[in-house]
Amino acid sequence: MGLSLDRLALGGTRVLVAEAPGARVVRAAVERAALGRGWGLASSPAQAGVLVVCGAPQQRLQEAVDRVWDQLPGPRARVGVLVPQDAAPALERAAGHLADRAEQRRDADARGAGPGAGGEEGDDGGHGDDGDMSDMGMAPAGVPLAGGDEDRDGLEMDVLQVPLGPVLPAWPAGLVLRCALHGDVVASAEVEVLAGSGPGGGSAASRAADGAARLLALAGWDDAAAAARRARDALLDGDDARAGHVLEGLRRRVARSRALRWQLRGLGRLDGAALAEHGLPGRLGGDVHDRLLALLDAAAGDPRYTGEGDPDSAAAADAAAADAAVVAALPALVAGLDLAAARLVVASLDPEPVPERRVARG
Amino acid sequence: MAEAAVETAAAPWALLAAVLLGALALGAACLDGVLAACAEGVPARVGLRAPVARTAALLRQRRRTTVAADGLLQRAGGGGLVVAALLMVAVVPLGGHALADLPAGVVWFNAMDVLVWALVWLAGWGGDSALALVGGYRFLAQALAYELPLMFALTAPAVAAGSLRVADVAAAQDGLWHVVWMPVAFAVYCAGVVAFSVQGPFAPPAGLDLAGGVLTEASGADRLLLQAGRYALLAAGAAFAVPLFLGGGAGPLLPGWAWVLLKAGLLLAALVVLRRRVPAVRPDRFLEAGWLVLLPAVLLQLLVVAVVVVGRG
Repeated sequence: MGLSLDRLALGGTRVLVAEAPGARVVRAAVERAALGRGWGLASSPAQAGVLVVCGAPQQRLQEAVDRVWDQLPGPRARVGVLVPQDAAPALERAAGHLADRAEQRRDADARGAGPGAGGEEGDDGGHGDDGDMSDMGMAPAGVPLAGGDEDRDGLEMDVLQVPLGPVLPAWPAGLVLRCALHGDVVASAEVEVLAGSGPGGGSAASRAADGAARLLALAGWDDAAAAARRARDALLDGDDARAGHVLEGLRRRVARSRALRWQLRGLGRLDGAALAEHGLPGRLGGDVHDRLLALLDAAAGDPRYTGEGDPDSAAAADAAAADAAVVAALPALVAGLDLAAARLVVASLDPEPVPERRVARG
Repeated sequence: MAEAAVETAAAPWALLAAVLLGALALGAACLDGVLAACAEGVPARVGLRAPVARTAALLRQRRRTTVAADGLLQRAGGGGLVVAALLMVAVVPLGGHALADLPAGVVWFNAMDVLVWALVWLAGWGGDSALALVGGYRFLAQALAYELPLMFALTAPAVAAGSLRVADVAAAQDGLWHVVWMPVAFAVYCAGVVAFSVQGPFAPPAGLDLAGGVLTEASGADRLLLQAGRYALLAAGAAFAVPLFLGGGAGPLLPGWAWVLLKAGLLLAALVVLRRRVPAVRPDRFLEAGWLVLLPAVLLQLLVVAVVVVGRG
């Protein structure tokens, strides 16, 4: 009885994915393998039973991943995946860890009472880099109170320092956007990229399909996001015919949806002057809705994304420069937007941070 | 207008009501699982058992707290959703019986859905976490947009029946269901139900962009109660629509209670299917639509209903 309940519970596992820059194809494979075995994707550590680390994070990203691991309630399992082929076996290993009662009990005993009680790696003092755990006078339980500031309407508002990323669903790998929030409005932001490496981002078309899937998931349209994921997986399999078929239907649904247009129109609009100011390529012009359609076109083979698959080509260098320009422009582009809009804008630009470090494998 | 005969059921029957509500909610969750599996290209049976597996997983998961959390209020918010849904169905007559035959049952339902404002906000606030807090406030912004239209949508059938008693409203639809001649009120009511259950297009308070919003920090049994509460609210809203708009227990062959359950189940299934077909509505856009489109539309509907009632004498 107890064991069969465990088996049933195993089927309802949620997977939290932490992605190193350059590990897009690995994440795609992990998402596919997780959904294929009936597991879901977690949106926060609280929900997750399994933490899958895609690619090889370097030091600072590794620290962030360790902190996320501390937040998984348990029973929990953690696996690393370096190449797409290892995705399904790694999840199988994770299932084994979850089902091992003795191991889970040891893990729970080692963790102590609750958060802040120290993870298994002990207090190494390396976790203070978010700047909000320092001891201040007015700091209940060690967390300082929000500061105050004038917002755009001249009202005094609480200011919260909230980092977005690096482990966040539908968020560019390794990217951290440290936002000063007035309510839910991003007053200002600083950008940082935490390094790591993976086997690559996949073809230009599959990358675009993945970007569209994330954007649609953020827009709250799960069915369309699922279709985009299926197209992405077909592209990664090299099954262009099936991908083309799925994308055709998806493109039609997206273009026809008035509700989606109503949500995305006018959001994050970039005209010619703005593109030139930030050094962004022309394909990113227009608003979030335009960029979503451009992503779907690119996934269907429109040559607006070029050269991603071949790291030596001049086009790939251009693409890398464009990604770097997008990352640099993000603070200016999200300032003044509310969180929902900011997330949609970031997803529509879909940068692949620091692609030049992709080759640096440790 | 003649008083419709409804007996107040004895207290133990509340257990049956809870079981029926739970069955409706579970059915809705399973249907959603199947639809999600189909979209994902996964076998439908995996999706069908997903809610049960998920429930087992959450029961097995440890409870988790955040630094400086207000645990009492957070859990009151999470657990309260199921309670609010149960209190909603207490006034729905099932055949000739209701748990509470209140003279102002329609207002009771409205009061319970306003309770959801506080509960969802507390669930977001209690965790002392920025993203969950934003989720809680998002729900309040959304509630400001749907609540007034929902309130007037509830008023329309009551005006037509000349009574706030749910059984009277059901009985007043002899021959002509309210949904036929007040379709706008019905549509606005359904949108309101989906909105107070934080589902589908109205799920941004628990959105992926906030890493789960009000759900961000909830794990284990706390999360299970929140998720079950969302489905229970959807089911309760569908059940309440039956006496209000869909003729109550009226129907051929089957007894009244069976018709109530059947109609509630069908409406619930329709809501689950429809809400997957649309993307999320950002609360700021919805606020505009709520006040500039929904509210005038439902007020016009109310005017039409009032004129008809006065004309009938």
